[in-house]
Amino acid sequence: MTTLTDQAPRGGRSPALRALAFALPAVAALALLAFVSLLVGVSDVSVTTLLRLFSHNDDDLATQVLVASRVPRTLALLLAGSAMAVAGLLMQMLARNHYVEPTTMGTAESAGMGMLIGILWWPDMPVFGKMGLAAVFALAGTALFLAVLSRIRLRSALIVPLVGLVLSGVIESATTFIAYRFDLMQAARSWMTADFSAIVQGRYEMLWLSLGITALAMLAADRFTVAGMGQDFATNLGLNYKRLVAQGVLVVAVVTASVIVTVGIIPFVGLIVPNLVRLVVGDNVRKSVLWVAWAGALMALACDLIGRVVIAPYEIPIGTVMGVLGSAMFLALLLSRRKRMRG
Amino acid sequence: MSRSARSTVNRRQSLLQLGALVTLPWAAGAALAQQTLTVQQAGGPVQIPVKPKTILVFDLAALDCLRALGAEVKGVPEVVKFPPVLEQYASKDYTRIGSLFEPNYEVVKGLKPDVIVAGGRSAAKVAELAKIAPTLDLTVDNTQPVASAFKHLKILGEMVGNEAQAQTLMAAMQADIDKLKGLTANKGAGLMVMTNGGKLSAYGPGSRFGMLHDVYGIPAANKDIKVAGHGQAISFEFILKTNPDWLFVLDRDAAIGREGASAAKLLDNPLVNATKAAKKKQIVYLNSSNWYLLGNASPGSLHDDVTQLINAFSKA
Repeated sequence: MTTLTDQAPRGGRSPALRALAFALPAVAALALLAFVSLLVGVSDVSVTTLLRLFSHNDDDLATQVLVASRVPRTLALLLAGSAMAVAGLLMQMLARNHYVEPTTMGTAESAGMGMLIGILWWPDMPVFGKMGLAAVFALAGTALFLAVLSRIRLRSALIVPLVGLVLSGVIESATTFIAYRFDLMQAARSWMTADFSAIVQGRYEMLWLSLGITALAMLAADRFTVAGMGQDFATNLGLNYKRLVAQGVLVVAVVTASVIVTVGIIPFVGLIVPNLVRLVVGDNVRKSVLWVAWAGALMALACDLIGRVVIAPYEIPIGTVMGVLGSAMFLALLLSRRKRMRG
Repeated sequence: MSRSARSTVNRRQSLLQLGALVTLPWAAGAALAQQTLTVQQAGGPVQIPVKPKTILVFDLAALDCLRALGAEVKGVPEVVKFPPVLEQYASKDYTRIGSLFEPNYEVVKGLKPDVIVAGGRSAAKVAELAKIAPTLDLTVDNTQPVASAFKHLKILGEMVGNEAQAQTLMAAMQADIDKLKGLTANKGAGLMVMTNGGKLSAYGPGSRFGMLHDVYGIPAANKDIKVAGHGQAISFEFILKTNPDWLFVLDRDAAIGREGASAAKLLDNPLVNATKAAKKKQIVYLNSSNWYLLGNASPGSLHDDVTQLINAFSKA
């Protein structure tokens, strides 16, 4: 019991050192990738430009590109990647299943439908309004998923994601139908595949909101660990299970909505990252959440970089890159797990 | 209006109706013995009737040609917003026969068309439509848009029996083009981008919007943009790096009647503002529905679009 909600060891030097030994290379790797992300792009930005940025504020073109485009894009990638990964982790704890995430259980698709309704009826709505509407839809979609799930007796590991996929398929086809009727197919597609190419200063700041919410979720990490053990268990430990689920769903919905409004649906991060981290760190949310955030950011950065480089000076949207890499990684994950179960 | 005047109108109307009643059987008889005309087109030769009575049109460029030729059409596609030049077809007098992409076959069949004009977005449905009535595929060839437009105008002119008007229209189009071409030389290079749901794509020579370079003679700021149906996805940095003297913008959202996050708002950022085009105030927001829906391949849209560009270039 105590191991599950264990307090971080205090005073013991060796665990702290060991954590540091993992954390330092991790932070270094992320920093390196972020640095590369600042340097890669259509315009020429060199290391010296980067340094000049810190010394004095020059008004030349390269600096402008850096400030207006590269820095916002890199920050957006870090924020969106980590937020989607953490949202996936939370959803996996709440649904008590390792194969769900916001894009496989209707949250993202519902948010997309909210966007579409917004464009149809209030095309001039400011971005916060759009996000609010998307969040409300995401909330409703997620609640619907959990409600359907609670009525299903046989909750095997595969039934849960299947239910989610069916539900998100239904929601997506409804969205597609509306988009088709109103000639909005291409607009709908533009937020169904994430793309960071249009991110510039002033067009990504919404994502800071998801950071704040993700941080809140991190603070409640222990509760989510307990929630992952089921309603009876959590209630026995004195938790208000329903409220916790509601909070978790709210976090997931708002995070997903803010990411979709800004860049579009990013598939797979929320699915793969928590699973990979779980293989190493285990199910304790407090221990894994920072790693999940880290790996999510890393994966987003890497995939966007690939998309920027492959057909430069044009771009492949991150959603496409991630769809290809993510599905391969997911298959590998499934197969390796099965092998282990057999062995 | 005096009573007598009204009664003359009434009398005139009833006379007209009487005339119609008498001539209708004759017209029907004439239709039976209708002449046909064989035209060469994308899918091979097609026999179409001369002076057909019931014409259904799926392609908006062809619709503009028929409008300019003074031909009467019976059915038009459902579009969210008709381009200004085709505004008259928004009237409910014209039967809606499906979308730009997807015919409503029941309605099409029910109208018993003499000829169907498709192409472009509906090109994939030509074979299916041809089972109902002779169907023309008037898809514009993006590599030679003007020749294509002239060919279509000629075919339709022959079909509706107004070849003289077709010739006049072609001459006017050519004159418009020549006038613009005379202005674009030495005014700097241009880049064409389309905005769509907050994203950007670029088009170059030979693409569906390549007319800017290939026909109107505006040098391409980037000559190697690969031709793709939906353009090449680009970032704002690409625009800055290309640094065109002219930036031509097609706001797709506006083209389909959704003017939400406008292209102007999207492009107002430090990177675009640093380009020569922005500094010289040479960002041209194209008449999006004409460019997007009619592809410049018909008399009305071409005239509107060339006029806009002539205005822009004569100021430069």
